[in-house]
Formats: sequence, structure tokens, C-alpha cells
Amino acid sequence: MNSPAESTAQPHNESTDARISVRNLWKIFGKNAGSVIGTDLADLDSETVRKRTGATVAVRDMSFDVHPGETFVVMGLSGSGKSTLVRCMTRLIEPTSGTMSLDGEDIAACSPQRLRELRRSRMAMVFQHFGLLPHRRIVDNVAYGLEVRGVSRAQRYERAREMIEMVGLAGHEDSLPGQLSGGMQQRVGLARALAVDPEVLLFDEPFSALDPLIRRDMQDEVLRLQRELHKTAVFITHDLSEALKVGDRIAIMRDGELVQTGTPEDLVGSPADDYVRDFVKDVSRTAVLTARSLARPALPGEAEDGPAVPAATVVDDIVAPLADGTAPVRVTGAGDTVLGYVGRDDVLRLIAGDRTADAAKAAGGQSEPRRPGDAPGDPVGA
Amino acid sequence: MATAQPAPSAPPETAGPSPSGHVPGADGAARRPPGTAWLANRWVQAAAAIAVLAAGYAAARALGTPAWLGTFPDATGQWLIARLDGVYTWIVANRNSSPLFLYGFNYVSVGLGSAVILVNQALVLLTWPGVVFAGTLAAWRVAGWRVALLVLATFAVFALTGLWNEAMTTLALITTSVLIALIIGIPLGILAGRSDGFHRAVRPVLDFLQIMPAFAYLMPMLLLFGIGNPAAAVATFVYAVPPAVRITALAIRNVDAGAVEATTSLGSTPWQILTKVQLPMAKRTILLGVNQTIMLAVSMVVIASVIGAGGLGDAIYQALSKVNVGQAVEAGAAIVLMAIALDRVTGAAGDGTRTPLLPAPWRRAAPAVGLAAATAVAATARLVGIEGWPPAWSISFSGPINTAQQGVQSAIGDATGAFGDLLLVGVLNPLSALLTGTPWWLVVLVAAALGAIFGGWRTAATAGAAVLATGLLGVWENSMDTLSQVLVAAAVTLAVGVAVGILAARSDMLAAILRPVLDAMQTLPPFVYLIPAVALFSVGRVPALAASVVFALPPVIRLVNDGIRGVSAHAVEAAVSQGSTGGQLLTKVQLPLARSSLLLAVNQGIMMVLSMVVMGALVGAGSLGYDVVFGLKQNQLGLGLTSGLAIVCLGVFLDRVTQGRRSNA
Repeated sequence: MNSPAESTAQPHNESTDARISVRNLWKIFGKNAGSVIGTDLADLDSETVRKRTGATVAVRDMSFDVHPGETFVVMGLSGSGKSTLVRCMTRLIEPTSGTMSLDGEDIAACSPQRLRELRRSRMAMVFQHFGLLPHRRIVDNVAYGLEVRGVSRAQRYERAREMIEMVGLAGHEDSLPGQLSGGMQQRVGLARALAVDPEVLLFDEPFSALDPLIRRDMQDEVLRLQRELHKTAVFITHDLSEALKVGDRIAIMRDGELVQTGTPEDLVGSPADDYVRDFVKDVSRTAVLTARSLARPALPGEAEDGPAVPAATVVDDIVAPLADGTAPVRVTGAGDTVLGYVGRDDVLRLIAGDRTADAAKAAGGQSEPRRPGDAPGDPVGA
Repeated sequence: MATAQPAPSAPPETAGPSPSGHVPGADGAARRPPGTAWLANRWVQAAAAIAVLAAGYAAARALGTPAWLGTFPDATGQWLIARLDGVYTWIVANRNSSPLFLYGFNYVSVGLGSAVILVNQALVLLTWPGVVFAGTLAAWRVAGWRVALLVLATFAVFALTGLWNEAMTTLALITTSVLIALIIGIPLGILAGRSDGFHRAVRPVLDFLQIMPAFAYLMPMLLLFGIGNPAAAVATFVYAVPPAVRITALAIRNVDAGAVEATTSLGSTPWQILTKVQLPMAKRTILLGVNQTIMLAVSMVVIASVIGAGGLGDAIYQALSKVNVGQAVEAGAAIVLMAIALDRVTGAAGDGTRTPLLPAPWRRAAPAVGLAAATAVAATARLVGIEGWPPAWSISFSGPINTAQQGVQSAIGDATGAFGDLLLVGVLNPLSALLTGTPWWLVVLVAAALGAIFGGWRTAATAGAAVLATGLLGVWENSMDTLSQVLVAAAVTLAVGVAVGILAARSDMLAAILRPVLDAMQTLPPFVYLIPAVALFSVGRVPALAASVVFALPPVIRLVNDGIRGVSAHAVEAAVSQGSTGGQLLTKVQLPLARSSLLLAVNQGIMMVLSMVVMGALVGAGSLGYDVVFGLKQNQLGLGLTSGLAIVCLGVFLDRVTQGRRSNA
């Protein structure tokens, strides 16, 4: 329904190196679910479909790939279908149609037994409200996945203790979940998911129920674990700063549809439409854009011996080296090759841009075309 | 943990028997012309319906009661009763030859009889020191030393009153029927908890069982299983099984969905989800269901003495029929203590907080050690030749109690007698005359009209049909008489109950005083309420009414109190901040907001009154209850069964009319 979205909705049509590959996934709730897909109704917006058939379109024709070791964030407001999407991926909710493959094997088509095998060893999920078993000790909660798989008590306790140690809860093995704080409980949830050593981790708004400070700790924890373990992760959140912090790539969902998929830099640097632009307008671009995006050839007469920074450095972090001297920084890629230069003027111009945008926002408050929370379905492209 | 025991008192979220018709009947108020708005008031409409009834009565009397204005033609009833008597004759003739009995009911009957005897034998084998030791030890392990002392005291009362053997028989009956109820009820509850379809199928059955007064069960049981313990065990099982199913289903359904989802996502099989997640997390609630099942079994096992259940119930029944208050009080005290002890022990097992902490190595071994110790005690006792409690060691209190009762009677007997007469002449008789003397079709129409006013058209149809059915069953006059007793007792119950409930809601001290009293009252088997009523009012309709009122008061008081206290503190705060007086606060904020609790109180109060009024037949209240007892005693299946069914019809009528709108509230 909006043209910029469609161009990004299916970024990789065929991808052989994808760990997870979702194609044309639909989830429609309600009695007439079957009567929507493949008919004219499929082209209508969700509100109209609901009025005509009583069926609710939660996920609409989604396709995307997640690569090994990547943290893929799906972000959207509540009701955008993101939690339904992640549940469809492990079939906690049965998708209405479409395929999700894990290393080429279609999860949507596998038998209940095979699905259990996949859940027991290949993919594990972390939940917003933890879903711990209050009657079991922490060690038994963490060992649960191994227990249902049939691992012996000694082995699974050993593994569980390792995991508890890894998430920083050593000493709490024999506590009950109710004795731990929310943040600690979610660490247990994380340990439980990691205990089965899955290739894929699914996070469903794991930190939304936590206090802001604890949330930041937990985000750092996930980043640390990802650096050590390199799991493939699908991470659902409604918090943009969380998405930008943990995501290698981010997919923005709206009304069950993908609006844009890209790196944080893509989203902030070139939002696909007004919806995404509105989302990211409060993000300081200097905190997201990298040296690579500002790099340019050296200007005539410019000093070429400034400090070197890796291409992935965010702009905020090259302010200090720039302040130390007058020479522009050298942006280096793999093997210390110089990709280009970034000078004080470039950074100032970017900061000025942020400020102007803020000022324009403050001035034009009411005339803004739309906000992310607007009524769904009003056509943007029209 | 003293949760209510009688049929219509499951936890609030499950108590509403079937969401019946909720067609808006008088909701068109807004569309009426302004001047006639008062016509839309349901109470005005109800009063008009009653006025029509009275006018019909007056007209019938004035016209000398011609046939078309008279009582229900009894042709259908006669026919039905004759048919049922025929069935009875057939069953008696074929009980030992029909395959249905030879291979069906007789087996169940023999099996159940043997089970009761087996449990009883086990208790005898344990000897009294063994039983006392094992019971007290188990109570201590589950519920701590206070409850253990209570259990010990209970055993002491069994023994000292010379009712040890009766108590053991009752205990054996309760054990057998509760075990069956749990073995069948819990799996059904699990099924209903996991399958929406099964839940929908089983709910109306449970609703029906819960509004069915216990007395109505007895006749069919007698018919199928003969007189004695097997029939009593089945009746008790049927009576006690609904909470086991309902609360288990509720418990499974209330298990945190997040935990089920999380464990599913880790690849649990459905069986693993059940055994590792749902059952452990639902355990406490299920134990609450077990507690309710046991309490219902205790009350029914006493009532079942009417169909030949031995034990304490029989002792009360015999004492009551001889108006021997002393003996009745002895046996009543024994059953009351048994009920309270069972309630406290199983209640503590449910909440698990009072369980004494044992050092870790002892925890697992405790049951085995306890069993071994109890066996050792029993073996020692047998070696020295102890078995049952020696009768010579008993002390009879019945003589002194009878003396005391006669003293009370002579002191205030005139007063209670006068009060009773006043009630009879002034209220009961006129109301009974009104209901029986009004043309039957007018009564049916008014019943339907009340259904329409308070529930809607579906309720109207049910209410009219239920009242009509009492006539078709051939017991119109007795049904109307029973109805008049129910209405009077319900009016008193609700007036007193609502008033006390409001007072309790406004005074923390009164609430604190009332709570343990209500707890204890709700633990008592309904049967024992008759004992003090007989002591005060002798026999007849008045003691039955008194017992009904006292029996139905606790849940009414409790629901009103809880309802008012449950009103949002914000709403109360806002009303107070705007300068409401206490009275304004009550009438404009608390009572309207507590409406659904008040309606539930009315419904439960009336249903409990009904179940007690029919039991009042045992103390001479006559009417439907008497026909049931008479039918049971005289082998008149037709009369007993039709009267039982009429009780059910009255129950359906009263239930539907009083709860019709609750689903809208």
C-alpha cells in the first residue's frame, strides 16, 4: 500500500546463506481466516478486512532473511503484529500460510515430533513475562529444556550451573523464581534459553517489563553474550533505542506489514517513508551514523595524517579525536585501508542538521503530516 | 479455609449456575414516554404481578372456586405416579434376574459396599490407638500442632460419647465416596481444563448438579442400589463430584499461560506440560477442590442416613425422629468436629503454609516413618487386646443435655411457641393458602412474568415451565406449600443477612468477630442445623424455617460484606470527597457497585433455603420433603420420585428468576 515500503519489504528474495528465511508469512485470526489470502481482500487494509469478514490480519505477507550470527530486530508499536510474528516462527501460533525455514528446513511443514525436536535443540525463546515455573528452583528452570529432551540429571545440572554462572546468577541455583527480582528472573529466562545451546534465539520484548536501569544492564548483557556466542537472534521490541542498540539489522513493522528493513544507519540515514521518518526523528544521528557514511575523499590541501578510526565508529565517537587536532580523521576499513576522511565541518554539518530538524519540529508541531500512532490504514502514497 | 459446603456455594467465579437467558426485558426504559418511566422499574412490575396473583385468589374464592379456577388437575400426576410405582414393582421383581442389575448396578452396589466395609475394616484393624495416632500424626504433618490438637479432641469426642464405631463408619463412607469422586472428578477436571469443547459440554451438567437439592438425589439411588451404604456412597459421590471437576478445570485454566507457552517453546510434549507445568502449578487450587469435595461429602453422608447410610448421620436421624435432643446433640457434635477437623487438615494441605518444616533428610521419609509408627502402635494395641473403644469408658451427655433443653424449653418454650404460632398463623398459612388457592394457571403465568421481569424471555419460559412441571408431576399443592415456606424463610434470611452484611462491611470489629463464626457455620453439615431448631421450636414447619434461615445466613452475610468491601476504594474516596454522608455513600455508591455480589447473595440464600426447607421434613415440615422421606420409607417410588423432581423444578424456578440478570451485571 505504500510504495517505498514494498521496495524494501523483500530485500533478499533468494538467499542461500540465510539461517532463517521467512517467505510470504500470513497470520489471520478469526473464523474467516482462509477467505482472505489469495483473494482481492488480501490487498485491502486490515481495518476493511476486519469489517468485511470479521478476520483480523495480524501478519501480512512478510518475507525476510536472518543471517547466521546476526541480531535481527523486529520493531513496531503494540498491535503491529510483531509478537505474533515471532510466535509463528516457532509455531506457538500456527501461521495461516507461508513458510519459515531454518537452515533450509521448513518449520511450517514439519510434523509435531520434528517441531518438538527443533524446539528442544535448535531454537529457544525468551519471553516478556519470563514464563518461569514458580514451583521449581532456578537450576531446575534452567535445566527444563534438557530435562524434556531426556538428558540425565547430572549432565543437565552441570550445564544449567554453567549457564547460571554465565548470566551472572551464580549462588542463586537453589532459589525459587519468586525470590528473585524481575531482572534476575529474566536472566534465568535467558539462561534457560541458552542451556539447550540453540542456533537461534527468539526474544519477545524480553526487557519491556523491566525498570529502565535494569533494562540497560540486560541489553548490555545480551550484547556481551552475542559477542561471545554468536547466536542468530530475532529480537522483538517496541523501543527504538533498544532496537538501535542491539540490532545488526532492524525491520520496522506496521499493521502486520514490513515497512523497512535495514541497518540502524539505513533507517536513520534514509528512512523509507514518513512513518519510519517519524519514528527515527528523535534519534540523534550522530549516535547512529558511522564514520563510513560521512567519509569523503581528502580535500585539496587537507592534512592526511589525522588519527585513524575504524569505519564502523559512530560519529559521536570521532568528535574527541577531531577536537584534539585540526586534521580530519582517517576512516579505515579492513586491513587499514583508508576509505576516506571526515573533518570537523562534516561533523558540525550533521549536528546542525539534527538541530534544524528539531527546530522545524518545534515550529511546525501541528502541521506534521502523521505520527506513528495514527489510525492505521490511511494511505500514505496517495 | 472453611469454605462453604452446600451445593450452591462454589467459589464466586464458578458459582453462577449456567449463564442463562439474558435477553433484555425492561431495558427499553429510555425509550418510554417520560411520565411512565416508573412502569419500567422491575420492582413495580413484580409488585403488579403479585397483585394479579392476589386478585386471582380473591376472585377464585369469591366465585366459590369453580374447577377452572381451582387447583391443578391431578390426572397427569396420578398417571405418572402409577407408572413409576410400576417401575418400582418391576425393579423389585427383577433385581436379581435382569441383566441390567445382575451385571450392572448390583456389581457397583456390591463393589461399593465392599469398599466401604474394607475401609471400615482397615480402621477397625488399626484399633483405636492406631487410628488416633495415625490421624493426629498426619494432621500435625500437614497442618501443624494446633490442628493436630483439634483432631485429637475430635477423636476424644468420638470415643467419650460412645460413638466411636459410628464415627468410623461415617469416616469409611466419606473416604470411599471422596476417593471415587476424586478418581473420577480430577481427570474430568483436567480434561475440561485442557479442552474447551469438553468444558462447554460438562458445564451445564455441573450447573444442574449444583442447583439440585441433596434430597432430590436420594430416591433414584435407593432404586438402583438398594437401601444401605452403597446407595449412600453413590449419592455422596454424585453430590461431591462437581467441585472436584469444576475447581480442577479452573485450576488448570488459571495456570500462567506464559509458563505453558515458554515450556512449549522448549519442546515439551502435552504430557510433559501436564505433569511438569500444569499440575504442579495448579496443585494448591486442586487441593482446595479436594477440600470442597470432602466438605460436600460430609454433609451428604449425613443426609444419606435417610437411605440407610450408617454412622453418625443415622444416629442424628434416629435421635431426631424420637425428638431426643440430647442424643442428637452428641452425634451432631461428633459430626461437626469431624467436619471442622477434615476442613482444617485439607485446607492446610491446600495453602501449604502451616506445614511444619522438617530437616531435609526427614522430609522424604516422613510418610513412611509415620506409617511404620502407626502400624507399630496398632500392632501393640492388638497384642494387648485393644480394638474398638470400650463402651464402658464412654460418658453419656445426652441425659444432662435433655434436662438442660427441657429447662430452656420451660423457660422460653412459651415464648418460642407463641412466636412460632404467630409465624404460622400470620404469615405461613396465609401465604400457603394464597399459593394453593389461586388458580394454578395464574400461578404459572405469574411465575413466567417474574421470569420475564427479572431475566428475560428465556428465563420466563424456563420459570413458567418449571412451575407448570410441579403440577404435571401431581404434587402441585405440596410444591406450593414448600414454595411458601421457602419464600418466608428467604425473606427473613435476606432481610437479616443483608442488614448484618452491611453492618459488617462498615465495622471492622464486627467483621472480625463474625468471620470465624461464619467460617465454622459454613463448615457444618446442613443436617445438624435441625438439632438446635428442634430444641427451640419442637417439631413442625417453624423449626424447619429457623434452620433454613440460620443455614442460609452465612453465605448471604459474607457475600454482602465482601461485595461492599470490594467496591473500588477510588469510587468511595471520590464520593466522600464530594461530601456524601454515610447513608448516601451506602445507597448511591456501595450498594449499586456491589450489585452483582448482592444478586449472588439473593440467589445463594434462596437456593440454600430451599435445600434446607425440604430437609425440614425430617422435623415435621411436611410438603415435598415429607413425600420424599415417606416415599423412601414406604417404598413408594412414584410419590418419592415425583416429589424429588418437583423439588428440582422449584430449584430451577428460583435459581433462574434470581440470577437471570447476573450475566448482564
